[in-house]
Amino acid sequence: MSSNRITQYMSGYVDIVVEGYYIERFINICNSRQIFLWNIRKDNSITLYASIEAKRFKDLKDICKRTKCKVKIKNKKGFPFTVKKYKKRKVFLILLLIIILAIIALSRFIWNIEVEGNVDISKEEIMQLAEEYGLTIGASKGKIDTKEIINNIRLERDDIAWVGIDIKGTNAIIKIVEADEKPEIINEDEYCNIVADKDAIITKVSAQNGTPLVKEGDVVTKGDIIIAGWLEGKYTGRQYVHSQGEVQARVWYTTTEKIALKETKKIETGNIENKYSVKINNFQINLHKSLPNFQKYDTIEENKKLRLFSNFYLPLELVTYTYKEYEEVVVVHSFEEAKQMGIDRAAETLKENIEGKKVLDKQVQVKAEAEYIEVQVTYEVEENIGMEEKIVF
Amino acid sequence: MRKKARKLDEILEIPIELSTNNPKITVLGFERLLIENYRGILEYQDYFIRVNTYIGIININGFNLNLEGMTTDDLLVTGRIETIDFEEVTEDEEEEESK
Repeated sequence: MSSNRITQYMSGYVDIVVEGYYIERFINICNSRQIFLWNIRKDNSITLYASIEAKRFKDLKDICKRTKCKVKIKNKKGFPFTVKKYKKRKVFLILLLIIILAIIALSRFIWNIEVEGNVDISKEEIMQLAEEYGLTIGASKGKIDTKEIINNIRLERDDIAWVGIDIKGTNAIIKIVEADEKPEIINEDEYCNIVADKDAIITKVSAQNGTPLVKEGDVVTKGDIIIAGWLEGKYTGRQYVHSQGEVQARVWYTTTEKIALKETKKIETGNIENKYSVKINNFQINLHKSLPNFQKYDTIEENKKLRLFSNFYLPLELVTYTYKEYEEVVVVHSFEEAKQMGIDRAAETLKENIEGKKVLDKQVQVKAEAEYIEVQVTYEVEENIGMEEKIVF
Repeated sequence: MRKKARKLDEILEIPIELSTNNPKITVLGFERLLIENYRGILEYQDYFIRVNTYIGIININGFNLNLEGMTTDDLLVTGRIETIDFEEVTEDEEEEESK
């Protein structure tokens, strides 16, 4: 047994077919001459299949003569034979080499940029910034100095607290953390007033520190001082303090919604056509001919970058256009319906202002016109309107 | 002389398969059989193998018997092995053989 499979494969072996009546003798002689056979099989009384080292095959001739057997090669296996086989297929090998080289060459560039962690800042803005400092699609990975780009972006933008650029394969991920715009914090030991931040009617003032200047029922406009940051003493005179206290006031929020009584609505018919095209950088190849057969349709464009592995993006993009047919249907709303819609919409627009606050009153005014109605909704809300303001001398 | 040598082997705890020419037969499951210390193959069919050793003949019966590997001293038989039996060669026969 030529020790193991790997050495057998590396040195090459042949499968042989032996025919003859003295097969046992053939095996014994092979053995005594150190010609090792393996995988010996016999399917009828005179034929024998076996494997033998390629180098030793020529030694079998003599044994065959002595035992009156016939030997034929059935199969050549192993590394030397594989090499021989591929020597003939030069074009295949060259192409394989070219593909490997192309992949290596392509992997040296950035083909995709992702932005993570942005909430308020748009992705395009960050990409544009990065582009200015050299991180573009198609840039060579070796030339990109991530540290410098990070520093430049941070210098340029104050609203970005942290930037990280992670290059994985041909994919660059820009991770950012947006800075919150912090309200000006006034230190405890600084003097301040409490002022109104909205126009309102005061319902409750409780000053823990400082002098309240308004009382319940007073109307204040934005910027009026509610609790002054000083204490007036008979003997001590005016003494400045860091005023503290709670100011509850009634505030009104009003919005007007215009609701058309006749509304054209898009209703999808469910007919969808997909068209594809391939995009290489800015060059686009359409794989379809014409526009869809629908009269009215929405187009949804979806770009998908092709990639080999999870992070190896290719400079190819597959664009899918989905055309969705729709019909225009005119919906006529009744007056009540339109009114309810207006109220709902108003609640939606004022959501930010009234959420989590105590709603005291809600007033709805409707003005009807021929084509539309105007719904004016006013919310009366009780909320804290106090805001600290530094006293500047 | 031979007896003394055997005694010495026993004292030194040399394994019997080394000190004598006895074949060592290992059966793994019902489908693998390894014979060490054999002399040659007397007969080989896919249902029957006769192996010659220094102390006698081993007969193996079964189906689809293959000689998976062979070297000068071991022989690995695979396939469905049904029976193994031995034919002891008496000393007379051995003498005859040697003649």
